[in-house]
Amino acid sequence: MNGIARLVASWRARVALTGHSMSPTLRDGDWVLVDPDAYRLRSPTPGELVVADSSAGPVVKRVAERLDPTSLLLAGDAPSGGGHHHEVVLAVSTVSGRPWFRYWPPGRIGRVR
Amino acid sequence: MLDLRKLLAPSRTASAHCDIPCGIYDPHGAELGARTVTKMVSLIQEAQEGTDPESRQTFVRCVKVKEEHAEIVKRELQILWSDYFKPEHLERYPDLHEKVWKALKLASKNKQSIDATAARDLEAAVAEIARIFWETKGGQPATKAA
Repeated sequence: MNGIARLVASWRARVALTGHSMSPTLRDGDWVLVDPDAYRLRSPTPGELVVADSSAGPVVKRVAERLDPTSLLLAGDAPSGGGHHHEVVLAVSTVSGRPWFRYWPPGRIGRVR
Repeated sequence: MLDLRKLLAPSRTASAHCDIPCGIYDPHGAELGARTVTKMVSLIQEAQEGTDPESRQTFVRCVKVKEEHAEIVKRELQILWSDYFKPEHLERYPDLHEKVWKALKLASKNKQSIDATAARDLEAAVAEIARIFWETKGGQPATKAA
């Protein structure tokens, strides 16, 4: 039952990804399920994927570092370069879920972590 | 296939763009840096009494962290200043340049000195710039406002 509830909640919170900073884990155009309750009882730890509500809208990043109890340093998986910086510091309270399953495109369906 | 795509398509997008050219800005990094400076000044003042090696080590580490975070405040504010704030923001907040400049100066002062008043002033200066930032955004996202 828990699994079904999680699936339904994740379906409602699903997102389409744009941009290349999470490549190769997630690519531009991937559609992913997002568990909105994953971080409800605990905070994300370094290495985990998060959806966070930044000032520019939802972003998908990986936790690089827990800076203090209220702050996370988030980074992309793709190497920075050419004037592009994939890192951003956001409040823990902006985290709204964990991307965990890519369901589109059909050739790349599978768990993401 | 097209219908299946329509059926499965998410209603919202999430960006995995890089921050600087793509517009993810947030004053939280500067606020965290300023809070850390204050905390380090307090720890330095506690540790400076001790003469044993452990206290000396704490003292040196806190000084190092204080200087690093004063530098982080400068970098984060400079990114907002040069990349986020636009001429229309300056029209609405004519003293914005002055406020950012003073905050940068305060960050430098905190890097150079161990001064609790200067640390509190830096926190206040950064909080004011954060307030202006969120006003230009039309308010903080709901999850941040708590």
